[in-house]
Amino acid sequence: MSSHYEAPIREPLVLGEKSYHDITVDIARPIEGKANKNWYIAFTISLIAFIWGIGCISYTIGTGIGVWGLNKNIGWAWDITNFVWWVGIGHAGTLISAVLLLFRQRWRMAINRSAEAMTIFAVFQAGLFPIIHMGRPWNGYWVMPIPNQFGTLWVNFNSPLLWDVFAISTYLSVSLVFWWTGLLPDFAMLRDRAVKPFQKKIYALLSFGWSGRAKDWQRFEEVSLVLAGLATPLVLSVHTIVSMDFATSINPGWHSTIFPPYFVAGAIFSGFAMVQTLLGIMRKVTNLENYITRLHVEYMNMVIMFTGGIVAVAYATEFFIAWYTGSPYENFTYMSVGAATGPYGWAFWSLILFNILIPQLLWIRKFRRSFIISFLISIAINIGMWFERFDIIAIVLSKGHLPSTWARFEPTFVDIGIFIGTIGFFGVLFLLYARTFPVIAQAEVKSILKLSGENYKKLRDGNHE
Amino acid sequence: MASNKKYWKSVEELNKNSSIVAKLEEKEFVSEMTADEFLGDKESLEESSTSRRDFLKYVGFSTAAASLAACEGPVRKSIPYVVKPEEITPGIANHYASTIADGYDFANVLVKTREGRPILVMPNKLANGSTNARVQASVLSLYDSLRLKGPKVNSNNSSWSDVNTQIKATLAELKDSGEKIVLLTGTLASPSTEKLISEFKAVYGNVEHVQYDALSESATLDAFEEVYGKRALPNYDFSNAKMIVSIGADFLADWQGGYEKSYVEGRNVSAGKMSRHIQVEANMSLTGSNADKRIVLKPSEQIYALINLYNAVTGESLPSKATPRDAAISNAAKQLKKSGRYGVVVTGIQNKNAQLISLALNAYLKSEVIDIYAVRYTRQGNDTAVDLLLSEMNSGKVGAIITYNTNPVYTLADSAAFVEGLKKVKLSVAFASSENETASISQYTLPIPHYLEAWGDVQIKEGSYSLTQPTINPLFDTKQFQDCLLSWSGNEESYYNYLKNFWNTEVLQGTSWNQALHNGVFTPSELVVVELIANSIDLVKSANVLLSSVHTGGFELTLYPSTAIGDGQQANNPWLQELPDPLTRACWDNYLLISQADATEQGFSNPVRDNGAIDGQYANITVNGVVLENVPVLIQPGQAKGSLGLAVGYGKTKAMKTDMQVGVNAYTLAKDFKNVQVASIENIGGAHKFACEQLQHTIAGRYEILKEVSFKDYSNSNLDPKKSWNQITKVSLKHEEVEVNSVNLWDDQDRSIGHHFNLSIDLTACTGCGACVIACHAENNVPVVGKHEVRVGRDMHWLRIDRYYSSELDAGSEARENNTNSTSDSVDDYYNLETPEAENPQVSFQPLMCQHCNHAPCETVCPVAATSHGRQGQNQMAYNRCVGTRYCANNCPYRVRRFNWFKYNDNSEFDFNMNDDYGKMVLNPDVVVRSRGVMEKCSFCIQSTQAVILKAKREGRKVAPSEFNDSCACSAACSTGAMVFGDVNESNDDIVGLKEDKRAYRLLEFIGTDNNVLYQVKVRNTEEA
Repeated sequence: MSSHYEAPIREPLVLGEKSYHDITVDIARPIEGKANKNWYIAFTISLIAFIWGIGCISYTIGTGIGVWGLNKNIGWAWDITNFVWWVGIGHAGTLISAVLLLFRQRWRMAINRSAEAMTIFAVFQAGLFPIIHMGRPWNGYWVMPIPNQFGTLWVNFNSPLLWDVFAISTYLSVSLVFWWTGLLPDFAMLRDRAVKPFQKKIYALLSFGWSGRAKDWQRFEEVSLVLAGLATPLVLSVHTIVSMDFATSINPGWHSTIFPPYFVAGAIFSGFAMVQTLLGIMRKVTNLENYITRLHVEYMNMVIMFTGGIVAVAYATEFFIAWYTGSPYENFTYMSVGAATGPYGWAFWSLILFNILIPQLLWIRKFRRSFIISFLISIAINIGMWFERFDIIAIVLSKGHLPSTWARFEPTFVDIGIFIGTIGFFGVLFLLYARTFPVIAQAEVKSILKLSGENYKKLRDGNHE
Repeated sequence: MASNKKYWKSVEELNKNSSIVAKLEEKEFVSEMTADEFLGDKESLEESSTSRRDFLKYVGFSTAAASLAACEGPVRKSIPYVVKPEEITPGIANHYASTIADGYDFANVLVKTREGRPILVMPNKLANGSTNARVQASVLSLYDSLRLKGPKVNSNNSSWSDVNTQIKATLAELKDSGEKIVLLTGTLASPSTEKLISEFKAVYGNVEHVQYDALSESATLDAFEEVYGKRALPNYDFSNAKMIVSIGADFLADWQGGYEKSYVEGRNVSAGKMSRHIQVEANMSLTGSNADKRIVLKPSEQIYALINLYNAVTGESLPSKATPRDAAISNAAKQLKKSGRYGVVVTGIQNKNAQLISLALNAYLKSEVIDIYAVRYTRQGNDTAVDLLLSEMNSGKVGAIITYNTNPVYTLADSAAFVEGLKKVKLSVAFASSENETASISQYTLPIPHYLEAWGDVQIKEGSYSLTQPTINPLFDTKQFQDCLLSWSGNEESYYNYLKNFWNTEVLQGTSWNQALHNGVFTPSELVVVELIANSIDLVKSANVLLSSVHTGGFELTLYPSTAIGDGQQANNPWLQELPDPLTRACWDNYLLISQADATEQGFSNPVRDNGAIDGQYANITVNGVVLENVPVLIQPGQAKGSLGLAVGYGKTKAMKTDMQVGVNAYTLAKDFKNVQVASIENIGGAHKFACEQLQHTIAGRYEILKEVSFKDYSNSNLDPKKSWNQITKVSLKHEEVEVNSVNLWDDQDRSIGHHFNLSIDLTACTGCGACVIACHAENNVPVVGKHEVRVGRDMHWLRIDRYYSSELDAGSEARENNTNSTSDSVDDYYNLETPEAENPQVSFQPLMCQHCNHAPCETVCPVAATSHGRQGQNQMAYNRCVGTRYCANNCPYRVRRFNWFKYNDNSEFDFNMNDDYGKMVLNPDVVVRSRGVMEKCSFCIQSTQAVILKAKREGRKVAPSEFNDSCACSAACSTGAMVFGDVNESNDDIVGLKEDKRAYRLLEFIGTDNNVLYQVKVRNTEEA
């Protein structure tokens, strides 16, 4: 997989005087060592948020969807906003591990593990919302095309919500398998290093008996490639289908043919921003500065700029088309003068600011290569992408076809609590992951050490002189 | 020190050798119980295969069985008939003709009962009846759990026999001492009761019957009596009117009882006729919103306008004053003159002299619209008599007061005088259905049955007699007022027999009682010719008196009955509380209506909260020193500057559920029974929470939603509707413009087989009265959700009536052309389109329910196929299958789907009729009560259409043309015939013609949903003279 030559002008991907053993030690350190105080603080906060979220979910299921701020004209708001937001975040992982694998982008090796973990955990959060947003979630299994005692009763294959069920469950399972395949050699490494018998047993189980023979490595490479091939279309399909929840409907502002590519771009945009946010913290906390470098950050920022550009063009197109139709029904779509000046103007301008204006700072190389500025911009994008979904859902529903049905939405504490709860749940999962899983695909990083490692590069470059 | 004492039980014990003692020492128990004996034959026991394991199994099973049996489901009390009543077949509805006459609403109705329970009240079409929202909702008032359940003496429970004896004794005493006995009632209009009262008078001598209407028409009655010598209201037949000028008369709503039916008949544009209607008013009323032209004038100016109109028509010169809209008035006069005997003037000004002038004007026009012979008896209250009664009570001249069908403590402005007077009366008896304000302070509180449990007769108008019959056994220990009067008069006959005898001898003219009871109405074939005198009136004097009665200065406050609550009798009815006002679309409240201009001056506003709810400030209203505090203020477009409006009927606290105790009591301001008062207001700030169902007032430039045309354009046969006023959106197909409904992405089913239902809604005929909304509630078990939920936009109405304000442009083609070109969308334009014209907007109503689209957007998006299309055109909702994703509601362009956000039945958070054993009796057994978390919506009353089909099938025939017409509760309840339901595959059905009518259009047709609900373009007669 790795070629044997890399241009000297390329920056190294692994910094410092690293040997193979150093990498092993670095990656295993957070798992084998004790957690620091920061980890415990972060975990406690996440856990409290998670429990609060469980409380809000229980209250909703026990009392009724009426505890949310929805009304007869605005049937979705925070629930589906959060759903799409989390699904979008879940996009970067597969893109990094599958698409970049196919394109032989080696810089992905330092970030793909965590990006995929993030994907899986984000999809968990996303998957919660379609269930709890139901009026009768205990009947949620009815959306599965399973044999039933109701006679010939079947699901409605016309419904984009049903497509969602298939798309997301497929995505989750493929991502999970792909992630786990990549984890096998790393788990085996941990197994071999483990001193406590219990730990050894667990990692032995998790590594599926990886022996490190050449045949193992050969099959590993083959499976990775096959799975990458399978996962690549999923990167496009999942958010395409999510966008069809809106695009196939008839609401002005939703009924738009550019939604699928625009949503996919937006998802990658938000996914990379979330990876940027998480790794920005993780490289500090777990002392992985040598593996997640400025170069990684810059590359990710470039992807963000590119997908952000697509998103901005999509906004402009939406705005133009709404105006160009001359139809009064398009006067208040989420990208229109009506939205900009109406009661949801603040949400509209938040979207413009966080999603279009702030990311433009990345054109400046200094910012692009700055950890702290990248981190701040990534947070802005996370917020901006949440507003994008909120605007699409709430502004459009608040101004339906008939002016008599125009309405407003205000979240209740339960709406907010559930969202916070999912962030907490995500945090709990990610923090547990960071303590028990090898957060960097060390086996892969080792494969490029001699190629892109700083000291090896220096040695090579020195020979040239 | 141990004691060696020995205790013995019997002497036998002392004998050491006693065999008995020895035996007892061996066996403590006398009778032996061996295991063998216990288990039976030892041999068979040994042979039996019951092992220890088996035993444990049996124990296990029986314990499990016992505990399972203990976990039985909730017990539903359902008691089968031991002897089936002849007329009741479970599952089959019975219908009874009856009549409501509660002193305020009078209507011939048809009552639907199921298993002996009335569940629906509909107009009695045999009697040409029409019902409004309150009549429709009256069936729920029957099941009001706060009704009186037995007689009370000084608020303590008592029995009828005790009460009757005591009252009879007291009445006898009063008779002996010659003290005055007063019967204070609402308008009865009951010939038999009047006879009964005269008999009661004959027994007790000094008896006076005073009638009192909370909303008085005394002035009109006085005027009519002065001119024609008869105390009654003139009747109007607007169906043959060409020109109607109404000065402050809300005749389509509550003014003397609805005239909407004849009004709409006179505006039957399909038959080529349309009356022109000019409304002069201050409040934006239902009538004004239906008028072709609305002239906004304060109440004082309306008086001048009336005299000016009289002068302009007759050429006389009664003293008057100028008004700001005199040009419009003289224009109206011209048109009135031109229409001659087809013109009419009606006025709601509560002043005898104004009514005299109006009568004189109609007489001058020789108007055929006004009918002074077939007069109405629906208001008989006499203000002077009530005033006199109050002073007599306070001076101790009244010995006994018996109130029936009236609640003066609540409705009198000077209720303190009544309360004080009541204390000086020896005997006070209140016949009431609930322990209301008056009943609770009377000595005797006697529960009366609801009209659905009672007998009675009513003479709504001259030459028409109606019968009220019970449709259910009395729920509580009640007695009719008439039965009591009979008993107190010493007549042991029941009122039923009395009524029957009375009708047989005095009404029926030899025809059948049973037939009259079946029809609910009896029209004598030989009409007694009424002799009327026609006194001449000195109109100059009248005008002078009238002018001197005008008080100006400050705001002019008009007290009006709201469409939902009326005079407030049924204020404890949750359906009515949740019926939004047709104009403000607010419910669960009364509020001070103010014009935009005055609101700005006084600092009032109605900010919209982030959750879409409307707030408002409070005002203190002062009228003649009486202060009504904390009245929320709502800005009403079209309200005359300098005028205010406030609905009566709210602010009741007695016998009201907590949630229903809303609003303020505006009756306290109705000094001297006048509905117009000079008031001053003070803005005291605060934030009142309104429950308003519609935030947006205008149509925002989306003209094809509500198409309008002038009668002139409509009648112009040179104008192609499809090219002018009923255009269909065009789309491009293969680079050619085609009508949108010719393009179809779907493979359509053949819809020409079997039944296919359509509903047509005529926007010209719809007055916006809201009767259909209540009918839909009653028929379909639609839950009531309460003020807060309505406020946050979660009302459950399956059928709503949208109201839009528009500028008074010439409706029709010209306006349309001007507007279709205005595609520029600067920010200013948005707000111009969004903000209604405040001074005098035009109003349009649009009833909206599920459109039953053949290509329904909701059906494709439901993941579990809970909503799907029926073969008969209905978009069906399978509640059991619904998981509640709400995607269907989001994808419905009409937003007619309603979600069960909470559990609305058996939930103390929603303490309305579905949380109440009595209230639940109103539920329609044919329609399921929806559970929490499911979507619901209009079903085109599928339970009724199926019933019609099954009936025809059982009788082995085809469904007759138009047999489906009354299947939908809304179309059955519609008095004006604005809603017509039918089968488009039945070529003789009315709906077929309506579908092809040149006025027909489908709402938002460009979406391509192919609706089964049609709208008929609204026509306005905008032509001036």
